[in-house]
Amino acid sequence: MYRRIILLATRNRSGISRIAEHSINITDQQETKRISVSTCPNRQRMLYNKGVCTPNKRPFSTSTAISKENEESSAPKTGVTEAKVKEKEPKKSGKENLLDLLSAMKIDVTTKKKFQALKSQKSKEQPRVHPESMESATSMFQKATTEQQAQKESLSPELVAAASAVASSMPLKKSQTESELLQQLRKHESDTEVHKKGETNNIGNIIADMKVGKHPNARSPNRPANQIRFDDDGRGYTHDRGVVNEFDAVRRRKSLFTGKRLNIFPSTTDTTETEPKEVSVPSLWDIELAGHIAAVIKHLPRNGFEEMIQWTKDGKLWQYPINNEAGLEEESDVPFHEHVFLDSHLEDFPKQGPVRHFMELVINGLSKNPYLTVKQKMEHIEWFREYFQQKEEVLKESEAY
Amino acid sequence: MSAPGVRAGFQLLGSTRRLLHKLDKCAVFRNYTGSSALNQNAAPALPAGSSEEIVLPRKKKWDKIAVLQALASTVNRDPTAAHYMFQDDPYLFPKTSAEFKLYSLSQESGRNTAKYIINTYPKYFQKDYAEPHIPCLMPEAFEPQINDISEDALNERIQLRQVKAAVDIFDQLIQGGTTVSLETTNKLLDLLCFYGDRDPVRDDQPEHKEADEVEAVQEDFQKRQKGRLRKASDLIGVVWRENNNAERIFNLMPEKNEHSFCSLIRGMVKYGAYTKAFSMYADLLNNRMTADVHTFNALLAAAPNTREKYNEKWELIVETLNQMSEQKVQPNLLTFNAVLKSLRKCGSLARTQSLQTLNEMKALGIEPSLATFDHLLGIFYKAASSVRGPTDMIFEVLDEIEGKSFVARDPDDVYFFSNAMRVCLDLKDVELAYRLHQLLGEGENWKLLGDAFQQSVFYGRFFNLLCMMEHIDMVMKWYKDLIPSLYYPNSQGMMDLLQALDTDSRLDLIPQIWKDIKQLGHTNKADLVEEVLALMARDKQSPEVQASFADCSLAVKSVYEVGDRGRTALEWTASALGNITFLLLRAGRMQEAWGILQLFKENNRIPGEALLAEFLECAKERRDNDLAIDLVKLAASFSLTTTAKFASRVKEEFLLSEEQKKSLEELDVLSSDSSGSDSDSDSE
Repeated sequence: MYRRIILLATRNRSGISRIAEHSINITDQQETKRISVSTCPNRQRMLYNKGVCTPNKRPFSTSTAISKENEESSAPKTGVTEAKVKEKEPKKSGKENLLDLLSAMKIDVTTKKKFQALKSQKSKEQPRVHPESMESATSMFQKATTEQQAQKESLSPELVAAASAVASSMPLKKSQTESELLQQLRKHESDTEVHKKGETNNIGNIIADMKVGKHPNARSPNRPANQIRFDDDGRGYTHDRGVVNEFDAVRRRKSLFTGKRLNIFPSTTDTTETEPKEVSVPSLWDIELAGHIAAVIKHLPRNGFEEMIQWTKDGKLWQYPINNEAGLEEESDVPFHEHVFLDSHLEDFPKQGPVRHFMELVINGLSKNPYLTVKQKMEHIEWFREYFQQKEEVLKESEAY
Repeated sequence: MSAPGVRAGFQLLGSTRRLLHKLDKCAVFRNYTGSSALNQNAAPALPAGSSEEIVLPRKKKWDKIAVLQALASTVNRDPTAAHYMFQDDPYLFPKTSAEFKLYSLSQESGRNTAKYIINTYPKYFQKDYAEPHIPCLMPEAFEPQINDISEDALNERIQLRQVKAAVDIFDQLIQGGTTVSLETTNKLLDLLCFYGDRDPVRDDQPEHKEADEVEAVQEDFQKRQKGRLRKASDLIGVVWRENNNAERIFNLMPEKNEHSFCSLIRGMVKYGAYTKAFSMYADLLNNRMTADVHTFNALLAAAPNTREKYNEKWELIVETLNQMSEQKVQPNLLTFNAVLKSLRKCGSLARTQSLQTLNEMKALGIEPSLATFDHLLGIFYKAASSVRGPTDMIFEVLDEIEGKSFVARDPDDVYFFSNAMRVCLDLKDVELAYRLHQLLGEGENWKLLGDAFQQSVFYGRFFNLLCMMEHIDMVMKWYKDLIPSLYYPNSQGMMDLLQALDTDSRLDLIPQIWKDIKQLGHTNKADLVEEVLALMARDKQSPEVQASFADCSLAVKSVYEVGDRGRTALEWTASALGNITFLLLRAGRMQEAWGILQLFKENNRIPGEALLAEFLECAKERRDNDLAIDLVKLAASFSLTTTAKFASRVKEEFLLSEEQKKSLEELDVLSSDSSGSDSDSDSE
């Protein structure tokens, strides 16, 4: 039904150019397009990307294979990045916190374990670095995460961590900031859940509503079986004529179209210049003529399928899916890359820093979400843009912007 | 030796191809020989490499109903079942054509009623449950929303096709001094001309016409006549009145364009003001404007109605066509169909001119539709005037269209099949009928068979022809195939079938056919029922057949006794009673036969001499003296002239007791007393 597009941001060795090389991976259910892409101009970005790639099972059904692969691909560079992390350590509280978090993530594979580890690590480390300023943030974070677990991990821990990192970079109203951020994230998540549930219901409904007409002995030798042609090239079916044709040959003496003509109209091989005049709005007469011809050949449906065709034309019946984009009326002409490559919408955000990191996580999550329309995704990003613009002064004060 | 080399060449070719494929995904691989890499590799090993070209299949176009169409094409007609629309309610399976019409119309009228309620009370049906929105389930707006006097309000009325309201608004606007734009006025004129200056009947409103139709369904021929009458009366019902609103508004218009003129002309033709239409056309020419192709089509259709003589009619048509050509109006299919249709009214001229018209079409590259051929057949096979020489037109037409699939492009397209079948029937050419029937199976041609009435006419003629010309086995095959899923035969059709059975001496099938006759509701047709009895009673059959005939005759008898669903029972006739008695006698069912014999008296009918003789014969075989005496008594009671003859026969041929002889003599005296002396003198 929905196109699932999963973005895998992995490190690109050339490091600068944006290359989208995608391979199509058919899972047992549906087509998963995996796009490995690198958009990192610098090391810092790469780190963030790596953070993004860690598995978050719940909302986006990323297979473990993908996450593992990702893990492997990032593995050789771990040493280097960690070295970098160490160098940067004494700088800023928010960023440092974040980096710690990231490096911690790489160690554990499964979400849950890692999450636990992350929590304990954070609670151990943070007081050491900034005992006075981080206290409330940490407790807030813990509160949030416990809440989180109560909600069956509805938000991925990394996102929560990043949100709290942003929050912690602000001197005032940390808890409020974080909860605001998380709330906004969660809002769409609940939508998504509803969609997921609704989707399965819908399928059930469709199947339940389907009528299957049984015609066990509906075979008669004289009825043509090919009333619908599948090939539009005109070839394929030619009727077997047999004896009748020989009969023709005896009878045929001349064709209908031999003989004189009226010679009133000029031959029309070249007179096509009158065509564009006809493109005017159809008048009542034209509409009624077309309606009359259609009514003359209108027949009642002869079987259940024809009835369903009629209903489909009327719009009463859910369209019979002919590809995996059925039901995408709203999004039918939105190309997939608008769903997946959302980086271009981050231009108004700071080029680096915790806000940037947070937003990259956000767009990463959005890019994997098949349940939202592009418009909804834009609105989501827009909300954050306005939010951070409102808080711009505060952020600047804390040098996080 | 060469085989491995060739294989290697193939492999080489294959690998090159794969390589190329990887290199250049977008390229179309039609033209392989153009690739130099391939030529280098493949040429020495495989000179005929081009024979193995990869032809990329065309991209299939799918739409939302493609799968359903594919599935629908797998379902064939069930010859034993009623139409699909009746499937929901087995109780309402129609068994006769009248029922078919009634039930299908009642289904439709139920829908219309629901629609009417929804559209009349839209405020109760505003809740939209559907997600996504389903427009066709929501009430349609029939009430205008704009209530002031403005051009918008006028436009809205035109949109809603409220003729009278639109005219009112227009008048008020003009009185108020407002000028209505040309475009809007033209739209109003369209509306007025199309509906002949009266409000159209809404689809969902109860129509009186349909009720008439239900009653009109009885027999094909009857119905056809009625149908024609009704059509004629419809035309009479709406006529183009002098100075109606359309003309009035047209005259009020400060400026008129071609559209205004054309619309008025078309309206005049549609509602029978043919002469007026031509004078309006002259006005249009005087204003130095040109008509459009639809207007010319209308004029061509009207042309034969304005002239008396055939050649004048044709001259007017040619003149109109010439003007079309001068005005550089491109003719279309409907133009030539209108010409051919008009030619049908041109008598003797039609044959040659129609062929020239057809060639003109060919020269202009206009593909003829079924209506074109229908008109041709109509011209060449006139019902009454077959004084002219025989023609092969139907063969030429069928040669031309055989194997083609048609789409409807002219409202008259649907008359082709039934008319062509009429020609087949007239020619008594069953091969031709088969070809025509096969054409019906091509592609979507079945859709062009028309409505249920046209369909029943087509199959009725086809079946009639089959009964006439085909061997009974084939007839029965078609009979089983067509009835009741496609066609409900009328009593004439069943009569034809009985005749076919008679011709091929398969009268033993009659009991089976009788069941169908009963099912089809033809038991109230006296001539059909009597034909069944007469055919059964005519010859002596083998004992088994006689037994089944006897059962059948009793079934027939019940038709006379009880009316079929409230209808009055058939009136007994002497021949019907006689035939039943014969059948029972031949099956050796004396008691029942005797019972029937009593019915003669009750119904004031007189049994035939042959019947009584047969009866006597049976009594003799059984040596049933009492029966013989009773028979003579019965004859005497009818005062038959042959009573004495029977009496003497009984005396001679039966071994009677004294008492029996005595009673017989009494009878003899009685009958001789009553029936006069001449019969007595004859017998003695």
